[in-house]
Amino acid sequence: MTSNLKGNLESKFALKVFSGKEFSETAFPLATNQVNINSQTTLASDKDNSQHVSFSDHDDKFWQEQDNVYYLEAPLAKVKEICCYIQELGCPLVLMFANDERNFQAGYAVYYVFAVREEGMLVVIKTKADPESMEIPSISNHLHAASGYEREIQDLFGLVPIGHPDAKRLVFHGNWPQGVYPLRKDFAVGQKPDFAQEKIRFQEVVGEGVYEIPVGPVHAGIIEPGHFRFSVAGEPIINLEAQLYYVHKGIEKLAEGQSLEKCLFIAERISGDETFANSLAYCQAIEKIAGTKVPARAAYTRVLFAELERLTSHLGDLGGICLDAGYGFANFQFQMMRGWAYSVADELCGMRFLRSVNKLGGVRKDFVSGKEAKLIELLLNIRSELEDTVNIVKSNSMFIDRVENTGILEPKIAVDLNAVGPGGRASGIRYDVRKAFPYAAYPNLNFKVPEHNNGDINCRMNTKIEESFEAIDLMIQAIEGMPVGKVCEPIAEVKPYRFAFGLTEAPRGENIHWVMTGENNTLYRYKIRTPSFCNWPALCHAVKGNIVPDFPLINKSFNLSYAGNDL
Amino acid sequence: MNNIVYLLVQLLVILLVAPFVNGLIKKVKALSQKRKGASVFQMYFDLYKLVKKKTVVSNVSSWIFHVTPYIVFATAMAAALLVPVSTKILPPQIPGDFIMVVSILALGRFFLMIAALDTASTFGGMGSSREAMISALIEPSILISMFTVALISRSTSLPQIMETVQKVGIPLAHPVYIMVGLALLIIILAETCRIPVDDPATHLELTMVHEAMILEYSGRHLALLEYGAAVKQLVFMTLFVNILIPQDQLIGVIGLGALILSLLIYLLKVILLALVMGIIEVNTVKLKLFSIPNLAALSFILAFLGVLQFLILGGKHV
Repeated sequence: MTSNLKGNLESKFALKVFSGKEFSETAFPLATNQVNINSQTTLASDKDNSQHVSFSDHDDKFWQEQDNVYYLEAPLAKVKEICCYIQELGCPLVLMFANDERNFQAGYAVYYVFAVREEGMLVVIKTKADPESMEIPSISNHLHAASGYEREIQDLFGLVPIGHPDAKRLVFHGNWPQGVYPLRKDFAVGQKPDFAQEKIRFQEVVGEGVYEIPVGPVHAGIIEPGHFRFSVAGEPIINLEAQLYYVHKGIEKLAEGQSLEKCLFIAERISGDETFANSLAYCQAIEKIAGTKVPARAAYTRVLFAELERLTSHLGDLGGICLDAGYGFANFQFQMMRGWAYSVADELCGMRFLRSVNKLGGVRKDFVSGKEAKLIELLLNIRSELEDTVNIVKSNSMFIDRVENTGILEPKIAVDLNAVGPGGRASGIRYDVRKAFPYAAYPNLNFKVPEHNNGDINCRMNTKIEESFEAIDLMIQAIEGMPVGKVCEPIAEVKPYRFAFGLTEAPRGENIHWVMTGENNTLYRYKIRTPSFCNWPALCHAVKGNIVPDFPLINKSFNLSYAGNDL
Repeated sequence: MNNIVYLLVQLLVILLVAPFVNGLIKKVKALSQKRKGASVFQMYFDLYKLVKKKTVVSNVSSWIFHVTPYIVFATAMAAALLVPVSTKILPPQIPGDFIMVVSILALGRFFLMIAALDTASTFGGMGSSREAMISALIEPSILISMFTVALISRSTSLPQIMETVQKVGIPLAHPVYIMVGLALLIIILAETCRIPVDDPATHLELTMVHEAMILEYSGRHLALLEYGAAVKQLVFMTLFVNILIPQDQLIGVIGLGALILSLLIYLLKVILLALVMGIIEVNTVKLKLFSIPNLAALSFILAFLGVLQFLILGGKHV
């Protein structure tokens, strides 16, 4: 499909598809020093110019490794058509973000990222928003997945998506004033805007006997804040609207201008239970830009930690599902195993939440050496207990009755919303970043990706159970196959205005980070998209038609992160 | 004199034992989860703590909200007085039968439901509507199952029924009583808001039934409601154990010694039933809300089969 897509895009839209190398030269002329290209030149005519640029070997290597990312610049008027075309080819929109590029170009750039998952390739379409009108054409009516991104861009950059079906605010609530856009470069970090008072509008459902149930933002139990507005007729749910972003911390803004090392700590704190997946995605992006090859031992160590995080997360989710169904015994079994998994983490690095493990260019130290036998013993112990527990849980027909056919996420909706991770895989989406965009030592290890189709709680639960077993096997493989050698390759100084993607499969699914470096080893732009951003709308669809008391169970089967979504 | 002793015994036994039963069930659950769990006497401390605490009342609530805790507790106690814990001390006449027990408890439930609506909070109304649904489904099966034993003993008076079953020997060996017993067991689980109908330990407001109704209560009001619920639970358990496991006939004599012995046996039976309820709770999960009618129907069918068996087999000599 790759060649097809490239060829078609070239012929159909008269656009040239090329790798990030050429794109970087043309789109960011200041960055590729000495070369003076008029920023207004259309890309198609830049072919000649690019040949004049002399790149060091180092740079060539960098762009070669980025070969799976194709950038192309399109005029604003054609964006909608191109996006629809790519979508029709079966490539989902996985990310969309804006960037304030007024420093080196006139105006704001909007990036549309599509994934060609079968080929392990990303297609990025960049367009420039009109700096006068600050408008972009909305593609949400054709690509449903774009809806959230466009609202996010509107709140953070002030770019108005024209034609958006419901362009209400997403990131900011009624207390943030209109017209203040924090991700613009002229908004200073720490600036406190005036307190505004605006009423939040929810979608209204009217009809006889229809009423609204407001739940949250403060909930019983130790969970993060989020407001859920149910429209119900008796017990069945007609519509659910989630008002999130109560824990918006401005992480993307905080990261701008920070040194690359310091930003790693920010990445680790995006979402408490996805620490490693986020820091790994960040490290991979920076390592790509710096052209650093991570030592093999570090790559294996990273697999070990990433799978450990998946195991703890999944065990917690499984316990949570059981607890919400009133199955106390099974909950405590899973929580106990989760505790064991955390003690494996403690054994490895002295830190249960896996912070300060990753380092740009590898991992901080040799965590595994000398502990191999002990670790494998602990893991096998978890495995045998997990087998027993799963057998008991699956033979409890009352419990299975509870989870089967509840909270069905239709495969069609899952595709339209780009549902990722176990939530997507349970609805028939055969996609795992570890297979499609292999990273760390995953290409050398054997594992299966669970396949389920029904999209109900039972499928999501089985997906997580199977992934837990795979995670334990992967960890054992990684420990046994770990080559000797150093664990960190220091990264060289990075050039400014270079950019790269970092993709990882977090416990909740596909995790995409896009990093653009600034001057003096700092960050210019850090776009984070955690799997929760994609799956929250999916959750809202999955509960429709179910009854109110089943919502906690459905919610827990997705177990989405508020912090990771709100950023 | 006899009446006063009866009242004292009933009040003391029910009030003292009711919180202990809750502690026992929680202990069983804790042990199944490899936890030590709280002491079986924890609920006494909890009630003491709640009584000491300040009562916070929403300023949009009406008098209904204030009087409901007292009504709920009073109705539970009134029902408790009608269900003898021992046949060794019976007053000459108790005004009221099991139909009255059910009606008195329904009165408390009615006030609890409207009090939950009174504050107009998000979850109170949900709790009320679910409680109304469940009680409407479960009450017929209480009546039918009790009618079965009433037909056997030719009286709806509970002391009379309990006296009659003393002569049966081992009621649980007889199909009529097995049916009634199973129906009653389901009724107890539903009436006391236990898994599989409701989850007393849940923190999820959206799934609650009984807990959703008392969410707005605090301090001594909450203490009364919790205590009332515990008393109601013990009333149903007393009904179960004294009808289906009557062992007072083993103690032939009448007097203080026999009374104490029969109360000890009663306590033992309650502990046994509490353990069984704990084990049921551990092994089942909460049903889907819309599956509760199936459970209620099962209970009703069992009770009805009891009636049919009585009609076919006759109950004189069972």
